[in-house]
Amino acid sequence: MAVSSSAGDDGLRPPPQQCPICLQSIKQEAYLDRCFHSFCHQCIAQWVQYVGNKNSESMTSIKCPLCKTDNLSIVYGFNGQNFQRQYVNPKLEQRSFSDAHEFRMKFYIGDKGPTDGLFHVEQYWKRRKYLQKNPWLQQWLIREVQTLSQDEDVEVIVHHIIGVAEIFFKRQQNGENKATPEQQRIQFRTLLSDAARPFLAGYTERFINELESFLVSGLNVEAYDKVCMQQISEPSSSGSLDSSSPCDETLQHVYLPYFDEDIEIDK
Amino acid sequence: MQASRARLFKEYKEVQREKGVDPDIQLICDDSNIFKWTALIKGPSETPYEGGVFQLAFAIPEQYPLLPPQVRFLTKIFHPNVHFKTGEICLDILKNAWSPAWTLQSVCRAIIALMSHPEPDSPLNCDSGNLLRSGDVRGYRSMARMYTKLAAMPKKGAESSHTL
Repeated sequence: MAVSSSAGDDGLRPPPQQCPICLQSIKQEAYLDRCFHSFCHQCIAQWVQYVGNKNSESMTSIKCPLCKTDNLSIVYGFNGQNFQRQYVNPKLEQRSFSDAHEFRMKFYIGDKGPTDGLFHVEQYWKRRKYLQKNPWLQQWLIREVQTLSQDEDVEVIVHHIIGVAEIFFKRQQNGENKATPEQQRIQFRTLLSDAARPFLAGYTERFINELESFLVSGLNVEAYDKVCMQQISEPSSSGSLDSSSPCDETLQHVYLPYFDEDIEIDK
Repeated sequence: MQASRARLFKEYKEVQREKGVDPDIQLICDDSNIFKWTALIKGPSETPYEGGVFQLAFAIPEQYPLLPPQVRFLTKIFHPNVHFKTGEICLDILKNAWSPAWTLQSVCRAIIALMSHPEPDSPLNCDSGNLLRSGDVRGYRSMARMYTKLAAMPKKGAESSHTL
């Protein structure tokens, strides 16, 4: 069989915003995850399905119709906040992330966080509770950033975010910051937003809310999830969680000691 | 069905709009059936097909562009990758390597490229393939030239029906 030149070059590429498959202007833009070539979502999904049906064994990748690059998934429905992703091999999707990731994603898609107003944010800043390091922060960050970036390898991003937070807290500890607690809170949120935005884009603000909630809660990852789950199942009982008597007995052992009222840090 | 029709109609409009942009290719859609097309392509220069005009027939499946068009030479041609009797073409992009980003126009360009660069290792025309594989380029060229003159060039004195 004769081999012709690649479909990628020599004038085959249509003008931008025209779908190379239907040749109409792109409807519901979708792109492939490696080469970023754009198509109508329906057109490229149909092509993936067609190639999949033709091959007897299940495929894990699809060659781009334009450049023949192997791609693992179609990305579509993106609006700066969310996007959806359809893997060529549906098994890949399940392999990458846990149920917990999926569960967390739901919080970021809704317009209000489940823990908004639940924890004593003001006290956290006033009493400088941040001086007690939360040992579960890294574990929590890894999962959140994986969820939001849909990428498994997030070590560098998490390292960066933790670094920014730690430098801030260290300055607080040294008493260099003379601002009011409320101002400090704003400074913290701004710094962390700037650190996270390049990676999390439209999710950044919600991410910062969740990050603060998690830090203020002083809970470990499992307990924090439990509280979130509880809030979702009983949204009516949105009263503030009293730090001295946690509503769920099983949560008690996972609180950091600073939830005890007697711990006070001198200003 | 609807998708293939819409896409072919778009290609038809494109062909009308870009008439003469590529002087080597002339695509003509059947008057009554948008799934039947013919094309006239010029034999590429510095090949034995130079000066000839070759007619191609396209039969387009309903699943187009998921499936490639079926293309064959109507004009007799002596080429390793074209069946001498049926005009069937052996070209990867018309089979396994098809991609829906190809158009009828770009398929014609691929066929012209194939005429310039025969692949004697996957022959549909064994006589032609064997000549090239045994290194008898001169033999291949003279046979191909003869058939171009016989089949693809206007007869001297006769009114040509193939004009580009």
